[in-house]
Amino acid sequence: MPPAESMDGQPFPSIADSSRSSQPSAIEQEVMELFEQLRTPLLRYTLSFDMPLHDAEEVVQETFLSLFRHLQGGKSRSNLRGWIFRVAHNLALKQRYANQRSQAKTVSDWAVAEEQFDPSPDPEEQLSSAQRRHRLLAVVRALPEADQGCLRLRAEGLRYREIATVLGMSLGAVSLSLTRSLARLIRADGR
Amino acid sequence: MSKEAHLCDEEMLQAADGELSTHRAAQVRVHLAECWGCRTRMAEIERTIADFTRAHRQTLDPRLPPIAGARAHLRAQLAELASKPESRSGQWLFQFLLPLRAAAFIGIAFIVAVVAGNLLIEHSRLSGTKSGVIAAERGAEPDPRLTPGATRRVTLNDVCSMAHEEVVGQVSTPLRQEVFREYGILNVRGGDYEVDYLIAPGLGGVEDIRNLWPEPSTSRTWNAYVKDALEERLHEMVCAGTLDISTAQRDISSDWIAAYRKYFNTDRPLPLHSRLERPRHRQFPVSVVVANAVAECCSLTGSP
Repeated sequence: MPPAESMDGQPFPSIADSSRSSQPSAIEQEVMELFEQLRTPLLRYTLSFDMPLHDAEEVVQETFLSLFRHLQGGKSRSNLRGWIFRVAHNLALKQRYANQRSQAKTVSDWAVAEEQFDPSPDPEEQLSSAQRRHRLLAVVRALPEADQGCLRLRAEGLRYREIATVLGMSLGAVSLSLTRSLARLIRADGR
Repeated sequence: MSKEAHLCDEEMLQAADGELSTHRAAQVRVHLAECWGCRTRMAEIERTIADFTRAHRQTLDPRLPPIAGARAHLRAQLAELASKPESRSGQWLFQFLLPLRAAAFIGIAFIVAVVAGNLLIEHSRLSGTKSGVIAAERGAEPDPRLTPGATRRVTLNDVCSMAHEEVVGQVSTPLRQEVFREYGILNVRGGDYEVDYLIAPGLGGVEDIRNLWPEPSTSRTWNAYVKDALEERLHEMVCAGTLDISTAQRDISSDWIAAYRKYFNTDRPLPLHSRLERPRHRQFPVSVVVANAVAECCSLTGSP
């Protein structure tokens, strides 16, 4: 049982009808704008930590609440996108550890989705492109975790500086990691 | 064309990603225009990036629900958060609760006080009362006289190539009991304390009584899980070459809470760090340090 409920011993006042007369503040609007821009890339990145959608969505929500507190506290706005992904990264790691511990899932949703989905309409093209995608993603999953992180963040359009912030690596290490991973992908593709 | 004039993969990738300086990018363009081999490789690199990005999205996008529900949920939570008068004690409490439940707290300073009080009471009950009761926050840091920290000489290769079990480290039962005796803790109940390394093995710490202390597992803020998160962070940074291992050892052993604040750039534990489930499956990016070994780069020295 969550701590809040057991300790207080009585139900909390309902806040379902939270109608406010005031308009959203500038910071709220800023957070909502960033949410519009980044929710999808952030959710994809979080999902790649092999967690159920529900958990991933919660991580994303919590990330933007942290962002609100960050901005409200007058903290730095530099490299905000890197900051946001870093918070989500840390929350996702924790969530994944918790999930692994509870052994809730034996097969990752991600792997299942990979099996099921193919957008291509032409059956022959479908086969080859699906096989190729499988192969690419299988190679990526076999990479060291930091390398996978670099690739996925790169795929979400992050700059090297931002990736370095998220993963706590140097710029040079990000660049080398991506180079190494790409060389491996190219080799695997050529086989 | 001479061998050293060619572009290496890394430089081509940086060019494709727009990560080169304007001057360097111009040099690369000139070389590519002249060199068929590098042009072919460049095309291969760009195609592979594009293919991976497409595969990544095609696999995950069908799973993403429409944004509308999440948007409305976030807007409501922000509105509640914004209407709440800022209170420092309320903020950390908010941090570790799930968003929905936390929303119920907002503006209710009275309940915050009750809960904070109950936390201490509950902790005291769990910790047992025979010997000195360690209150939630009082035991969060070790006694520096008893636990100053102890390390061995290690190389980066040692700590960054450790097997997972070695990194986490298990403390033998006799030593655990010795640590409890040292801290005057009697009647230990399972789950109350974790005999933890002050300096984690993954940062060069050793299994030595000077490096071990009973960390309360039941504290809801600065607890063993939060410290785990710090250790992981420092280990990652050390292995990525962005932090000196001796600095990591010094920071974590002098005041790990201050170190957490410093390295996570926050004055409170991040919500999912302080959860009351202890993750044991720690994974360290063993590979990062090996990055140096793959620097097979040639340079643009021969270019105009």
